[in-house]
Amino acid sequence: MERSDHTKVAILGAGRGGRALLDLLHHIPSIEIVGIADRNVDAPGLQRARELRIPVTTDMRDLISNHGVSVIMDVTGDPEMEAYLYAHKPPTADILSGSASRLLWELVLHESKLEAELLQSEKLAGIGSFAAGIAHDINNPLQLILGLAENLAEERDLTTVHEQARDIIEAVKRTSAICRDLTRYSRRASPHEDMLVSVNEKLEEGLKIARYASSLHDIELIKHYQTGAAVKGNPDELLHVFVNLITNAVHAMERAGGTLTLETALLGGQVGVRISDTGCGIPPDKIPEIFEPFFTTKPPGKGTGLGLYNVKTIIDNMHGTIAVDSQVDKGTTFTLTFPNAERSEQGSPS
Amino acid sequence: MSEFKSGFFVGGEACEGRVLVVDDEPDIRKVVKMTLQKAGYEVLEAENGEKAIEIINYGENRLLLDVVICDIRMPKVNGVEAIAYFRSNYPRVPLIVLTGFPDTDMATSFLRQGVVDYLVKPIEGEKLRAAVARAIEQRELAKL
Repeated sequence: MERSDHTKVAILGAGRGGRALLDLLHHIPSIEIVGIADRNVDAPGLQRARELRIPVTTDMRDLISNHGVSVIMDVTGDPEMEAYLYAHKPPTADILSGSASRLLWELVLHESKLEAELLQSEKLAGIGSFAAGIAHDINNPLQLILGLAENLAEERDLTTVHEQARDIIEAVKRTSAICRDLTRYSRRASPHEDMLVSVNEKLEEGLKIARYASSLHDIELIKHYQTGAAVKGNPDELLHVFVNLITNAVHAMERAGGTLTLETALLGGQVGVRISDTGCGIPPDKIPEIFEPFFTTKPPGKGTGLGLYNVKTIIDNMHGTIAVDSQVDKGTTFTLTFPNAERSEQGSPS
Repeated sequence: MSEFKSGFFVGGEACEGRVLVVDDEPDIRKVVKMTLQKAGYEVLEAENGEKAIEIINYGENRLLLDVVICDIRMPKVNGVEAIAYFRSNYPRVPLIVLTGFPDTDMATSFLRQGVVDYLVKPIEGEKLRAAVARAIEQRELAKL
């Protein structure tokens, strides 16, 4: 008798419910999604399944009878479906339908809402550490503006007046850019805002934000960007990933300085991102814990312990991977891979 | 008159004193210099603590530097380190902190270390000049 450790799940219905189930279940290693069916070829869940390389069909009967399914999840919303399933399902398969599957869907949506809340609260907690950097970057141009304006009140040389007025305008622009960057960063990531995102641009933006959290003065910066590296995802969330990883890297080099390397690459069908530091490193026994919620090396009140947990959640949602390589006193490298957005768009079968 | 003040002569013009401005932002050095020059001070510039230490140890600066105005957040040797160096090697040179980040704990700690003033950017020219004049005056009084 064939036995598998996997729970083999078939999803019927690829509307919002089916899509939400796909997103949740495909993260869980012990669950194998054998397929998803919907009579509507253009259903959003079918599109998502193609991206995830999960078998897609419009023939419900074919799906439930052919794959050694252990659980059939019915999110079609069709009141007659349940009777149909009981008549046609394999004897070993369980059925989750009607209000039970609706309950499950609601739990899934609730979880994704909590995830977003967690991300937002961690982000806002982190903004506290930006205060010194923001004050520095706003008060410096203000000092310039004030000094020049005081001088202008007495200045008689017209050329100097023009020159200093232009300096004031530039300083004001620089200051307002700070507010723009920060409000963009602190806003709540809008849900389901998946789009094509340039990885290089987001890394640059992340670097700008990370400067507020910690000074990059004694850090050498090396960038190797592959042009055209683009991924599909939520731009706000990806920015958050980069701010987090860059800030961690800089903190690791806080005492002795070092080199921060940012790399992007196109590897076959994937986009690779590497963020490396030459800092204090992570002890080997701590590495398995770093993506766990509430893991922190910072003193109480300084870190939420949700940084890398949220990073991992976001990357999982983008169908990417994150790996860490670290040596104590040598440094740490985080390697991220994402499906290449351009390719998966072109390559998906219709 | 000049023997009662720290003033000396530079290029034939009366000078109120020699001030070293330590800040990584060229814009800040520019406006502070402009503000103080108007009041007759000679202004030297350093872009970080390391450069500042170099300048204070250079030639006659060792003797003739009247005030150091120092930022905190800077590359290489930062303000905290530079101030500790100045306090232990040049305890007679008054130090003024000019920072973009008001931090009460830091201010208290600096004032305890003997920093004469803790100023927060942006500061009006009038107040900056008054702080520098006060610092020099206090030093002169301490000499008596």
